Amino acid sequence: MSPVSPFLQRSHAERNRLLPEPYQRVLIPLLVVALLALPMLGNSYLIYLLNLTCLAVIGAVGLNLLTGYCGQVSLGHASFMAIGGFVTAIAGETFGLPFWLAVPASCLVGAAVGFLVGIPALRFRGIYLAIATLAMHYAIIYLLTSYQTHFEASATAGISVSSPSLAGYVLSDGYDWYYLLLAVAAATVLFGLNLTRTHCGRAWVAIRDRDISAATLGINVPAYKLRAFVVSAALAALAGSLGAYFHGIVTAEGYTLELAILYLAMVIIGGMGSVAGTVLGAAFMTLLPFAVDAVGGLLPSAWRLGTVIYGFQEGAIGVVIILFLLFEPRGLIEIFRRLADYFQRWPFRYRELQSGG
Amino acid sequence: MEILVSIAVLGMTYALVAAGIVLVYKASRVVNFAHGEIAIVCGYLFYSAGRLWPAEGFFPAFATTLLFSLACGVVIYLVLMRRLLGEPTFVAAMVTIALAIIFKAAIVVVWRSSNLGIPMGRQILLLYPDGGALRLIDLVTLATGALCFIGLGVFFRYARLGRQFRGAAENALLASQRQVDINLILSLAWAAAVFAAAIAGVLFGSRSMLSPQSTILGLSGLTAAMVGGLDSLRGALLGGFLVAGAIYLTARLIDPALSEAVPFIILLAVMAWKPWGLFGTREELDRV
Repeated sequence: MSPVSPFLQRSHAERNRLLPEPYQRVLIPLLVVALLALPMLGNSYLIYLLNLTCLAVIGAVGLNLLTGYCGQVSLGHASFMAIGGFVTAIAGETFGLPFWLAVPASCLVGAAVGFLVGIPALRFRGIYLAIATLAMHYAIIYLLTSYQTHFEASATAGISVSSPSLAGYVLSDGYDWYYLLLAVAAATVLFGLNLTRTHCGRAWVAIRDRDISAATLGINVPAYKLRAFVVSAALAALAGSLGAYFHGIVTAEGYTLELAILYLAMVIIGGMGSVAGTVLGAAFMTLLPFAVDAVGGLLPSAWRLGTVIYGFQEGAIGVVIILFLLFEPRGLIEIFRRLADYFQRWPFRYRELQSGG
Repeated sequence: MEILVSIAVLGMTYALVAAGIVLVYKASRVVNFAHGEIAIVCGYLFYSAGRLWPAEGFFPAFATTLLFSLACGVVIYLVLMRRLLGEPTFVAAMVTIALAIIFKAAIVVVWRSSNLGIPMGRQILLLYPDGGALRLIDLVTLATGALCFIGLGVFFRYARLGRQFRGAAENALLASQRQVDINLILSLAWAAAVFAAAIAGVLFGSRSMLSPQSTILGLSGLTAAMVGGLDSLRGALLGGFLVAGAIYLTARLIDPALSEAVPFIILLAVMAWKPWGLFGTREELDRV
């Protein structure tokens, strides 16, 4: 994944650095400082958008590990998130577990479900796997819906989740949430970046590129695929759990197939097989509906769209997916890389040799 | 009796949707996730065209829908799918998912997500003793579906173009070396598939209501196609009836909420048992 020329690398450790380019070592700390300082602007709408983005990043990194790195296309990501949300609601409200126990519990249950789903999924590849996960999505959502309507008779409109507290401090407004979600999202991104630089991550890439050759290299293909399902489902459940606390309510109807498609779109638009790209993709797809809304608000009042703006928000997602798949299948991170290359190599036109990306 | 007729009619609708999915998959190995959305949009279009020329009756609306569906199929192939030949199957499938989103958005923007029933063939022919009624449209659905399947069967067996189609489906490279026009075949497959979807959408809209939620029709059709085998028209017919029977019986006898999930549960069971469906051909390793 490192875009540095192979001729300049003298050791494997250098090839495998977390931040291979010098500019990244300057830019990333600056970005962190900027993100930490953002609440000082006092713009709560901006903080709300960033909170949504952080939640999306957590889930999308999980999906990218499974789909982008291991090559297992999953349309069932929303159901893993639903499981995270429901376990949180049940653990937190019915059993009264505190926040710091309910979230790991959701992750564990998510990982277990990922394991169970992963075993039959080993039989399928490519589009058949996508359809199998789609079927699984509907089966899981049906189970959760029937839980919601039968066992929680009082809560047919969803199960409400009270605001969490950490060490006696109740997370109430968006600013509290911002630091928590930013920390978790950053930890997830770091986890993803680290995991993909280990043996496990490289085994996933080998499986994605050609699973038969991966097997001949001595990689235990089913075991690594299962591992990808478990990690991805656990991260999805983490996102679902935090999302349940953040929104304060869990409904089975909220976890639609469209949500799973949205996450897949984040991965594609950000860049398949790139954790950094996932952050860009998650931000892009989270902000896109709000951007469409803002553009709609600029129109002269005679052309105001009213409720139909919802259709344009949805349609924009579809148009963006098609445009990226046709014209930039490697996603936003490739555009970013090209820009970075341009400025780094200026005044030369192109860099010397690209290592495999 | 009433149950059997209802299952047959519903099954024929699903089989028509599944037939469109199978046509495209056979020809180009693309699973079309947008099929239900296309069907419902064509249904809406038929309704609007019917409202536009109410005096002329059925034919202007039908002609509009026919022209739109053929054009739509050819455009989808020429503008989108042709660029994706040779890409992983997942990419093309993702494009159809994006198309599904766009078509669904079109329902919101153009038709304001309204629930519409196409006022056609709703005359009651027969009242069952235990409630429910046989309507004209039920018979029309069965007849149209049967006609479509017979037509497709004859086309693939006897027509020169149909044989070329089968050849192209089996091995596109060899077929093109024998001067089969692959672009023509694939455009034709898409046009025919979208037209089949349009018929299914119009029939569906005449029996019940068109709404953004009814695009689930596509997933039922996809399930039917998968159960029967993604490259088998016979399988689409059988899968349609199986799925319709399962949905109808669970909705009537067990729990209406379960009927939404039941096709997918059947699909999981069939895929665990026979990943290629009941009549599907076992595919090369890199496709499954």
